[in-house]
Amino acid sequence: MEEYPEELRTPPVALTCLVGCPEVHPLITAHLHSQQPPINSIALPDFSNISVIPPKKPPTDTPSAPVAGIIKRDWLSKHRTRIPAVVAAIFPSRDLSADPAHWLQLCSHLDNLKASIRGRNIKLVLLILTNWDNKDDTSEERILSLRKRAEVDLKNLIIFVPDHEEELLKSLNRVWTVFGELADTYYRDEGRRVRSRLEKKNYTTIELYIRYCFKVAIYAEFRRDWLEALKFYEDAYHGLREMVGTSTRMPPIQRLVEIKAVAEQLHFKMSALLLHGGKVLEAIMWFRQHTANYRKLVGSPEVIFLHWEWLSRQYMVFAQLLETSSPNDALYVPSTASVPEEKPTEWEFYPAYYYQLAATYMKEKNTCLEFALSMSIDVGPIDGNAESVVASAYLGQYSRLLEHEDTFIMQPLTDEEYARYVLAEGKRFQDSFEIIALLKQSFEAYSSSKVERAAAYCGLQMAREYFSLNDFSNAKQMFDSVANLYRREGWLLSLWEVLGYLRECSKGMSSAKDFIEYSLEMASLPEPTGSVKSFANGCGPAGPATLSEREKIHKEAFEVSRGELKLNSDEQNSAFKVNSDNPLYLEIDLISPLRATLIALVAFHQPTVKPGAPSLITISLRSQLPINVEIDQLEVQFNQSECNFIISNGQKPQTGSISNIQPGHRVETAPDLVLATNKWLRLTYEIKSDLSGKLECIYVIARIGPNFTICCRAESPASMNDSPLWKFENLLETIPIKDPGLAFSGQKAIQVEEPEPQVDLILGSSGPALVGESFILPVIVASKGHAVHSGELKINLVDTSGGGLLSPREEEPFSSDNLHVELVDMSCDTPGDQSEAPSDNIQKIQPSFGLISVPSLDVGGSWSCKLKIKWNRPKPIMLYVSLGYSPQSDEPSLQKVHVHTSLQIEGKTAVAINHRYMLPFRQDPLLLTKLKAVSETDQAPSLALNEKTMLIISVKNCSEVPLKLLSMSIETEEKSSACTIQPQQEEFREAVVNMPGEEFKKVFTIFPKVNSSKLKIGTVSLRWEREQPHSNTTASQVTKHRLPDVCVELPLLVVSSECPPHAFLGSPFLYSVKILNQTEMVQEIKCSISDSQSFVLSGPHSDTMLVLPRSAQVLVYMLVPLGLGSLQLPRVSVTSVRYSAGLQPSTASSLVFVYPAKPRIDIVMEAGYILSSSFNPPKTLFSSISKFPSPHGPRNLLLLPRAATIPLTIHNPIATSASNYPRIDKSGKFCSPRAARELALMTLYAACLQGSDPLRLLEKRLNARKEIGYEFDRACLMVYDHMTFGGPPIATQTVEEADQLLEIYQKESHIEAEVLSAPPNLVYSKLILLFTRKLLTAVSDNWDSSVLAIDKVAPDSWKNEPATRILEFSVLHLAMSEISVLGTRHQIVINEAVDLAKRFCDGAAPRVINGCLRTFLKELKENGQDQPQNVSV
Amino acid sequence: MIVCLAVVGHENNPLYIQSFTESDDALKLHHIVHCSLDVIDERVNNPKKSSPTINEAFLGLLYPTENYKVYGYLTNTKVKFILVTTDLDIRDADVRNVSLLFFRKFHAAYVDAVSNPFHIPGKKITSKTFRERVSSIVKSFGLSSAS
Repeated sequence: MEEYPEELRTPPVALTCLVGCPEVHPLITAHLHSQQPPINSIALPDFSNISVIPPKKPPTDTPSAPVAGIIKRDWLSKHRTRIPAVVAAIFPSRDLSADPAHWLQLCSHLDNLKASIRGRNIKLVLLILTNWDNKDDTSEERILSLRKRAEVDLKNLIIFVPDHEEELLKSLNRVWTVFGELADTYYRDEGRRVRSRLEKKNYTTIELYIRYCFKVAIYAEFRRDWLEALKFYEDAYHGLREMVGTSTRMPPIQRLVEIKAVAEQLHFKMSALLLHGGKVLEAIMWFRQHTANYRKLVGSPEVIFLHWEWLSRQYMVFAQLLETSSPNDALYVPSTASVPEEKPTEWEFYPAYYYQLAATYMKEKNTCLEFALSMSIDVGPIDGNAESVVASAYLGQYSRLLEHEDTFIMQPLTDEEYARYVLAEGKRFQDSFEIIALLKQSFEAYSSSKVERAAAYCGLQMAREYFSLNDFSNAKQMFDSVANLYRREGWLLSLWEVLGYLRECSKGMSSAKDFIEYSLEMASLPEPTGSVKSFANGCGPAGPATLSEREKIHKEAFEVSRGELKLNSDEQNSAFKVNSDNPLYLEIDLISPLRATLIALVAFHQPTVKPGAPSLITISLRSQLPINVEIDQLEVQFNQSECNFIISNGQKPQTGSISNIQPGHRVETAPDLVLATNKWLRLTYEIKSDLSGKLECIYVIARIGPNFTICCRAESPASMNDSPLWKFENLLETIPIKDPGLAFSGQKAIQVEEPEPQVDLILGSSGPALVGESFILPVIVASKGHAVHSGELKINLVDTSGGGLLSPREEEPFSSDNLHVELVDMSCDTPGDQSEAPSDNIQKIQPSFGLISVPSLDVGGSWSCKLKIKWNRPKPIMLYVSLGYSPQSDEPSLQKVHVHTSLQIEGKTAVAINHRYMLPFRQDPLLLTKLKAVSETDQAPSLALNEKTMLIISVKNCSEVPLKLLSMSIETEEKSSACTIQPQQEEFREAVVNMPGEEFKKVFTIFPKVNSSKLKIGTVSLRWEREQPHSNTTASQVTKHRLPDVCVELPLLVVSSECPPHAFLGSPFLYSVKILNQTEMVQEIKCSISDSQSFVLSGPHSDTMLVLPRSAQVLVYMLVPLGLGSLQLPRVSVTSVRYSAGLQPSTASSLVFVYPAKPRIDIVMEAGYILSSSFNPPKTLFSSISKFPSPHGPRNLLLLPRAATIPLTIHNPIATSASNYPRIDKSGKFCSPRAARELALMTLYAACLQGSDPLRLLEKRLNARKEIGYEFDRACLMVYDHMTFGGPPIATQTVEEADQLLEIYQKESHIEAEVLSAPPNLVYSKLILLFTRKLLTAVSDNWDSSVLAIDKVAPDSWKNEPATRILEFSVLHLAMSEISVLGTRHQIVINEAVDLAKRFCDGAAPRVINGCLRTFLKELKENGQDQPQNVSV
Repeated sequence: MIVCLAVVGHENNPLYIQSFTESDDALKLHHIVHCSLDVIDERVNNPKKSSPTINEAFLGLLYPTENYKVYGYLTNTKVKFILVTTDLDIRDADVRNVSLLFFRKFHAAYVDAVSNPFHIPGKKITSKTFRERVSSIVKSFGLSSAS
């Protein structure tokens, strides 16, 4: 497109001319040019320059004269640059107004101007230049006369004001509008003028018709009337078509050249108009027609190259137009319906298509040019004349320029001359570069549209062109890229051609390696399809793709590789020879095109192998080369280099040049190593590896001749795929390995296993782990068959539930506190010999990972260590332990054997601690907070101020193992004055064993002293340990339980009820309800009691009372139980009027148990109380009792008191008053009547407690079986004092004295217990026992009368509490019966009774008994029943 | 006149290619066939651009060169048939009918050839019978187009 003149390439722009006043020209021209549509302008500074506008030629008078040409070459440029449509005469205003001389000057200028433009019908515009200040100075009259003189309309006279911005813009716009309108008019008039000639058929020749059409079109273009322009261009084009056959005006060659030149220009205009109008499809159709029209007009054979050049230019220009017009719309296909004939295919929208064809034609031209040049040998001599040939005035015409007496004469040329001229011109240009440039453009355009095959074809053509220019490196690069595509898609013939070129290129570049590579590839190509015979030539430098050619190439390649043939015959490349200095090394990998030449498959026969065990390996080689290849040596290389081995050819003796075998390498000899075409060469060998891991074959290296090596990457048969070239060939399928299974699944790698571990790794587990304790887990490494060297033990803790390993799920920052489970410590037993340096001991501990080095162990040795793992939260974990060791000590880094074990361990919570608050029994404080917040369940428990509250801590064993509880304490947090807790801490004297699931409870008392809504009680800490019978090293753990805050407040009212723990049927008891007012106000209390069927009651039924501040009111009820068992007491409800709160004791606390009769247990308690009130401290008594040999526990002592437990001493009145009775008889037993009375009392008392007959009880005791091994110490009897009894309290002076006394008393009580608990047979003589029986018989006989008598004489206080006075009543019974039945003298009896009472009863009892008996005697005497019998004792 | 016939496989590899010219432009015909694969690719990949008859096996004119016209045909198994003729001036509609007829015949021959139990699908067609049959079809086509 660039070869066209500028006026043709760009759309025409209207031309104007400015004359005079050069100072404003730039302003106006710039403005006109910048407007849309723009207007060009010629600026003439002076009116004398007006002559540049060419004057109108006089009309030709001879219309019949032959037309010299079609279109004048410079016509368009003349109209675009020299003939303006409008001329503007610019005058300064002062010329109008000033003196007449100026005016005259002005008029003459104007006249000249008018004269020069008259013939051309050019429009005139007047511009009067004036200043803003004196704008109105110009006289109207002068302006009018000026207009008249110039013959312009008023609107074409413009006052131009350059020194005022606003006004300037206005006048500039005015200028542009006026110019535009006038130019339009001018061009329309001109066009109409020419068109009228066409319409009137006012032309003689077809040339004129074309010329007129062209002119009309150009004028239309000036007016931007594209449609009309297009129409007239088409008309001109058609006219031209007609001319082809008819014109005889010029010699045929030049005539055709002229027609083509005009057609080219017309077509260019049309295409440009169509494409700029977006009518791509039409443009393409037009172009197709255009080329179809002119392609056949080849012209005369000697200048045929001109035709091809022209055609090529058509394509190139159209491609450029297509490219520049609108590349986006280029592919847009308009509706197909409008084009009835063949619509263009997709490719006709690609500029690349046209570039490619342009290149093709250019190549054609080149061929023809060369041919023409070779034909005309005599081109040379006419060179001198050729220079004088120039383009003539008409488009497409050339003529000779003759210099003739200072004038140049255009002389027409003959065809021969012209032909010589163009030949000489053609010779000057290098077409190859142009072809390459065109192809490159096409190549790039295709590539960018991803049309790779067409691009490759362009590339191939380009490369061929480079090759023809001997530019080998560029050619090779292009050929290589093209070859890749053909290789991939298996276009063998094309590939053959490209490879042939490449082979030549590498020859040209003297690259032996490339040459051999391409040669081998060509030699191993399959036969191309199609009839072989027709490919005789046209296949590039390689010749036809036949088997013989391949064999030739093969031989050539191997000759070069052996160094027998020099690669290049050129002198400068003589150094190019394969020899020991330039060895040849080819590498074939998975994507190499040389895979067809040599492919190496390696297959192990097994997938895995034990270390050191042999494994079979098969190496299969195949070549597609047409001739057999003999390999001298094969080397197989593995990733473990010690397995490498070499296979040498048995046929060939080891030549010195190949003896590159390293010493120590394995060398195998194969019978022959010959590769036949498409036949597998299979070699099977054994291979051993001692190293565990992957053994992989990497390379198979073939050496052919001394300096040629092919390194072939090993492939697995399982993953082998044929090269794309051979894939589609109909060849016999051969399998690389005999075993077809192996051929499909064989792998080039083998897994060498680890040696079998011969070490046991044992994890000892002792049940579940408990949270908080350090769980000890022994790990034992026991060697069975391997020695252990440089062993390492790795410990991993893994969360079994998946998830985060051991880090907590919560968003707490990572710290050791938050770890659920952590490995705390690893301790190992140091082996017996301390040979190993401590520095060797690697020990690394992280919370979830541990590493410890294991010392060297001999075979059979063992080693253990203990892991200490701590659970912070209950969680099951997986413990993985792995041991890596090497069995040999000498090579520690070589081979490690690994043993793995794992164990799942549950971490569990050991104890659960709960707590509960309890108020003292039958006491209810009124707490305001409790009243208010009934609904709130999570209210802190309220405690009463200054009241004792029980805190019950229960500890439940949640684990599966028994735990030992060592101590429990409550640690108060705040100042201890807030509340007191008893006991603060308790160490269990004997560790409490808490079995799984068992609950242990401990009671504390809390006494809050501070009124607080949030009292921090403290934390319970429990120390416990796992009960392990064998080891004593378990550390105790502490579990803490924080007690929640409590609310302490002063109870306003405290209601406490009081009643005996049990009652007896029919016997009344008191039930009192005490209301304590702790406020400062008088409280009105309503109370009421509900009737109960089980009780008869007396007391206030329903009442309102006032309780004074800080005082208490007691309601007392007397109740008589009517039923038996656990009975509900009548409910007393107390209501505080002020707080409208009812205080009602819970049902549990208002129960009482009613016995049918008085139970004994309480009597014992009472007895204990009595005894303790005597001087002997109760502790002494109990401790002495515990000595009593009994099969039952200590509790049974309390429940079943024997008679012996009550130490009774019968005071012998005779012994004391008159000691005529010996205390002890000859057999060493008691024989005094006092002893008999003591025994009787004891028996009677026991009978009363048991409710049995006293006589029978005595018999039972006498006949009781002896305890085995029991020895009675008779000496005690000697010391035993019947008369010891507690007198008034003794005061001692010193501590020593008190201690002494205490010791004496203790000794005495010891003896008492010894004696009284002994079997009676051993203690008492037979007489005494007889007397005792007599006494008891009397008592039982006389029981009823005695009861009546006692009722009369006994004091009321005794009768009211009969249960507490059993002993006293027994004494009375005994005494009364003896008096009334046995008739013993009453003085003696009373004396004895008082003594007994003194010994066994408390303070007032002896005197009361004395009184009672005296009253009894008095009554007895009054009744006259005083008939005592004399009883001799 | 038909100058070249090609069967192209799935990987755009030639399965069968035969030229019927006396001159030595077999290689050029290879290139033309190869380049026309681009057009087929484009038509198959961008069906909206091409004619609405994409479902049809006959692809129509692919590639006009100066001397040849290339027609394409795509079987159901995506095997491409490519025909290169030198009949430049025949109207599209005529060519369409004639070449469609030709392609149908050729397709039948191809189906018979690949149905041979000794033929491995995807490999080149080397059957002599096929070659003869194709030659006869080409001859008869030349006659019918001339008539």
